[in-house]
Amino acid sequence: MPKYTIVDKDTCIACGACGAAAPDLFDYDEEGYSEVIIDKNKGTIPILEDLEDDLIDARDGCPTESIKVSDEPFLCKMLNNQ
Amino acid sequence: MTESTEQFDVTIIGGGPTGLFAAFYAGMRDMKVKIIESMPQLGGQLGALYPEKDIYDVAGFPKIKAKDLVSNLKEQALKFNPTIVLEQTVEKLEHLEDQTIKLTSISGETHVTKAVIITAGVGAFQPRRIDTENAKQYEGHNLHYFVEDLEVFRDKKVVILGGGDSAVDWANMLDSIAKEVTLVHRRDKFRAHEHSVDLLKKSSVILKTPFQVKELIGDDTNIKQLVIQEVRGEKIETLDLDALICNYGFVSSLGAIKDWDLNIEKNAIVVNSKMETNIPGVYAAGDVATYEGKVKLIATGFGEAPTAVNNVKHYIDPKSRTQPMHSTSLFN
Repeated sequence: MPKYTIVDKDTCIACGACGAAAPDLFDYDEEGYSEVIIDKNKGTIPILEDLEDDLIDARDGCPTESIKVSDEPFLCKMLNNQ
Repeated sequence: MTESTEQFDVTIIGGGPTGLFAAFYAGMRDMKVKIIESMPQLGGQLGALYPEKDIYDVAGFPKIKAKDLVSNLKEQALKFNPTIVLEQTVEKLEHLEDQTIKLTSISGETHVTKAVIITAGVGAFQPRRIDTENAKQYEGHNLHYFVEDLEVFRDKKVVILGGGDSAVDWANMLDSIAKEVTLVHRRDKFRAHEHSVDLLKKSSVILKTPFQVKELIGDDTNIKQLVIQEVRGEKIETLDLDALICNYGFVSSLGAIKDWDLNIEKNAIVVNSKMETNIPGVYAAGDVATYEGKVKLIATGFGEAPTAVNNVKHYIDPKSRTQPMHSTSLFN
């Protein structure tokens, strides 16, 4: 089943843990907060299956539980205030 | 639970970099200082989340490992012998009749102080706990989220959960002390230093990957067996054990601080240019404090700490100067 992910920037503390666990999935915006690379943190494009273990590592390693993972695309407005 | 009536000049909530520097600075300004930290160790995020990371943006240090910065900050903070209280999370803040402040921890201990500086960063860190119904009852017995004394595990059958630096390091260190060490991780790849993983693979540590916890079996106080299940598979194994160490990382939360009637914006406490909050005698500094143009950096916290301390000094002793002497003239 495809997995979608998104970072809740309201609670992200820019600690860098997700980028270390899953460098192919997460990068940082200009303020240092984490965001999903593949869809600019919209949670609308499924991640590659090969990266699913990295994704779970990143989610479990996030100290503020800001990385959300779903089997369905996210409604970006809810989390991203976009 | 202890009811303490000993009064401190300033109590610092949070033993991260800003809190430690504030403790030093308050000691230098001749104040009686207490630090309250939720973890069993000082250092905040630096110690809990990225002790091995290099930091490049602290003035005076072209490059320093987070754990080395913590070690330096501790040495500096301890210069004036502050009282350090570990493993307590402050839950309640109230003013007494004489305008001193009483803090109460979740476990019921109380602390009396003339002023408070909140340097809680992103909130109190707690270990990420095992997600089974009965896990809680084994805490304080043979389920460990922190390792403070390796000797506790001598000649025991130890199972370690996790795949990061802490799990791998403890497995390597206990290999020669424990009777048997088993490391259980959800995937075959470990998120630890290559060198540590190499050591692990050469050690006698038994690796169970990719497995995850299914069930803890024990009596009222101690876990006797751990049932693990293969990830994306049906294979189930039962491991006998004397001690279980869980290294699933940490989660943080501002928790009860949010209920103290402080002005909070986006998980941070609003302060003025004196680092004062809206509550008299309560100041904030570091990542937990916010104002227009705030930048969350260790370097910023190091600037805000002396601002908070010097204004606290003036608050508790209005005759004292807010502007301090230079430190070079104090220690000669």
